[in-house]
Amino acid sequence: MLGSVEQSSGAARTIVEFCRFARERGLSAGVQETLDALNAAAALGVRNSDEMKYGLRSILCSSKDSWDRFEECFETFWRESAPKARSSRAKAPRKDLTSPVDERTPTSLMSTGSGDDVSSEKDGAQAITGASARDRLTQADLSTLSHSDLATLEQISLRLFNQMSRRLARRRRIATSRGQVDLRRTIHRAISRGGDPMNLRYRERKPRPHRLVTLLDISGSMSPYSLFLVQFLYALQKHFRRADTFLFSTGLVEITSLFRAQRLQDALRALSQQPAGWSGGTNIGGSLREFNHIHRRKLRSSDTLFVILSDGWDTGDPGVLAEELYAVKRRVRQLIWLNPLLGLKDYEPIASGMSAALPHVDVFAPAHNLDSLLALEKHL
Amino acid sequence: MGESQASPSDAGNQGVDAIVSGFERLGYITDRSLATAVYLVTKLHKPILVEGHAGLGKTEVAKVLASFLGTRLIRLQCYEGLDINSAVYEWNYQKQLLAIKIEEGSDKTVEEKERHIFSREFLLERPLLQSILVEDTSPVLLIDEIDRADEAFEAFLLELLSDYQITIPEMGTIHAKHLPYVVLTSNRSRDLGDALKRRCLYQWIDYPSLEKEMRIVRTRLPHIEEELARQVVGYVQAVRQLNLSKPPGVAETLDCAEALLTLGMPELDEEAIEQTLGCISKSVEDGAKIRTAGVERLLAG
Repeated sequence: MLGSVEQSSGAARTIVEFCRFARERGLSAGVQETLDALNAAAALGVRNSDEMKYGLRSILCSSKDSWDRFEECFETFWRESAPKARSSRAKAPRKDLTSPVDERTPTSLMSTGSGDDVSSEKDGAQAITGASARDRLTQADLSTLSHSDLATLEQISLRLFNQMSRRLARRRRIATSRGQVDLRRTIHRAISRGGDPMNLRYRERKPRPHRLVTLLDISGSMSPYSLFLVQFLYALQKHFRRADTFLFSTGLVEITSLFRAQRLQDALRALSQQPAGWSGGTNIGGSLREFNHIHRRKLRSSDTLFVILSDGWDTGDPGVLAEELYAVKRRVRQLIWLNPLLGLKDYEPIASGMSAALPHVDVFAPAHNLDSLLALEKHL
Repeated sequence: MGESQASPSDAGNQGVDAIVSGFERLGYITDRSLATAVYLVTKLHKPILVEGHAGLGKTEVAKVLASFLGTRLIRLQCYEGLDINSAVYEWNYQKQLLAIKIEEGSDKTVEEKERHIFSREFLLERPLLQSILVEDTSPVLLIDEIDRADEAFEAFLLELLSDYQITIPEMGTIHAKHLPYVVLTSNRSRDLGDALKRRCLYQWIDYPSLEKEMRIVRTRLPHIEEELARQVVGYVQAVRQLNLSKPPGVAETLDCAEALLTLGMPELDEEAIEQTLGCISKSVEDGAKIRTAGVERLLAG
C-alpha cells in the first residue's frame, strides 16, 4: 500500500496525516509521537507496509487496549484514503471527526452532565440540622428516606465521610515509630566533630496505607443505596495509597481513573454516563470471575482490603460465586462484605448467593444507613 | 538515519531481518512485530515497554538484545518499596566513618575531608547509576516489573529516562556518556502513568501461535522428537483455553517438554500428563480443571 508513495515528502505527509487520524480515534498521537513516527519511517523505510505498521504501532500505542484498537485504525486509514486522496490533505479521515471519538475519554464524560445534582446541592445548602434530626437521618435506612431528607443527608454524609478519612490518615501518622538512623545525615553532621556520630539523625519509614479494592453492586435491588455508597467510596479511596474501584451488575466496569481524576460532582456526573447497567440484573459470581480473570494481580495478600457492597441477590450460579470469592479470599488480607439488607430486623442471609458467599467473608456488616457505613472505620 | 539516505527501505528491512535472525541464533524466536520495535529502540534510542502475560519471555527480550549487541546487561528488579538507595546509589557509610577516623590526625581542612569522603571511592553504584556510568558502549538497561514499584519511583524514572542524567547532591550531576537501551517490563498489576507510557515504545507479547511455539520448543530443546513436541504444544495450547487462574506460558511448555525428556517418556499420554501436571498448573484448582477437562479433549485440541 505504501509502495506507491515515492517522494519522501509525500510519505512524511502521509505519516503526519495518519497520526492525526489516530489521534482522532483516541490513540495518544501527540507532537512527540508524530516526530517519532517520522523518525521511525526514515529508519524503517516506507516500502514495507508490515514493518511500517509494527513500527507505528509500537510508537502510538501505550497499553493493551490501544494495541488492540490499532489494527482497525490502521486498516481504515489506508482503505479510506486512496493514493490520490492522500495528497489533497486527506479528506477521508477528516469526515471521521464527528464519528464516535472514544466515549471513554474523561473529557467527553465531563462535558455531558445532566445538571440534576445542582438542585440537590442547593437544597442541601439551606438545610439546618439539629442534633436530633441528624441522629434520625444517620440512623434511618437509606431506602426509606424522602427526597428532601436525602439532600440533607448527602450534606451530612459528605462531612462525616471526610472526617472519617482524616481520622484514618491521622491514626496512621501517630502509629509510626521513630524509625531508622539516617546514616547519610548523621555522617554529614559528624564530619566537623572528627567523625564521631554524636547526634543521630533519624529517618521515618513512609506510612504504608493499605490497598483498597471495592466492588459496588449497582443492580436494581441496590438502587436506593447506590448513590450514597458511591460517595462513601469516593471519600474512602482518597486515603489509600492505591484504591481500585469497580461497579458491577451483570458485568464489571472499572471506575478507578474516573474517581481519581475528578471532583466528586464531576465524577458522579461522569458515572451516570457509564454504560454499566445501572439498576439492571445481578451476576455477582460472573462479575467476580471477570475480576479474577483480568484484575487478579491487583490483589496482594499482605495489604489488600477487598470490599464488596451488595445485597447478595444473585441470579447467577452460587457455586461460581463461592469459587470465585474463595479465589479472591486467598489473595487478600481481609474480605469485607457490606450488605444493606443486614439492617433489616428479621434479615437472614439465606439468599442462595449470600449463603454461598458467607464462609469466605471475614467481616459481614450492614450498610443500610450512615452510621453503619461510618462504623466500617474500625475495620480499616 | 542520515547514513541510510540512499535506500532507507532496504536498510530498515535489513535491520529488522538482522534482529530476527540474530535473536534466533541466540535461541529467541521472535516475530517481525517485536523485531521492528527492537530495531526502533536501537535507532530512535527510546525506551521500550514490554507487556504481556507471565512466562512469555518479556525479560528475555532484554537479555537477548544485550548479547545481540554484544554489550552489558544491567538489571534492576523492581519491588514494592524500591527506593533511590537501592536503585540509584548509596554512600558506603562504614567506609566513610573509617576514613574520617583515619584522617583525624591529618592536617586536611574540613572541606578537603568532606570532598574526600564524598568522592566516587565511597559511592556504591546501584543499577541505574551503573547504566549511566558505563564508559565504552551503550549498555542494555532492564527495568523488570516496573508495575511493582510505586508511583514515586516511576516519577523518578521518568526524569532519568528523559535526560539520562543523575544528580548526587554531594558530587554534582553525572551525564550518560552512552545512552543506555532501556527495556521496561510490566505484568499490568497496576496502570502505569501516562507520562511514562508516552515516553516509551510499546510492545504487547501475546501467547504464541502453534507454529511459533513449535519453533520455540524445537530451538530450545533440539533433541526432542517432532511428534512429542507437537503433542506437548497442542496440549498446552488447549489448556490455555480452559480459563485457568494462571494459564501456562511458553516457559511452562518448555518445562513440561523437558520433564518428559528427562523422564524418558516417548509420548504424552494420560500418565505423562498426570506426572508433569506440576509443570503446567501452579494451583490445586487449575490442576483439577485440567483433569476434569479430560485428556482426550486436550490432546485432540
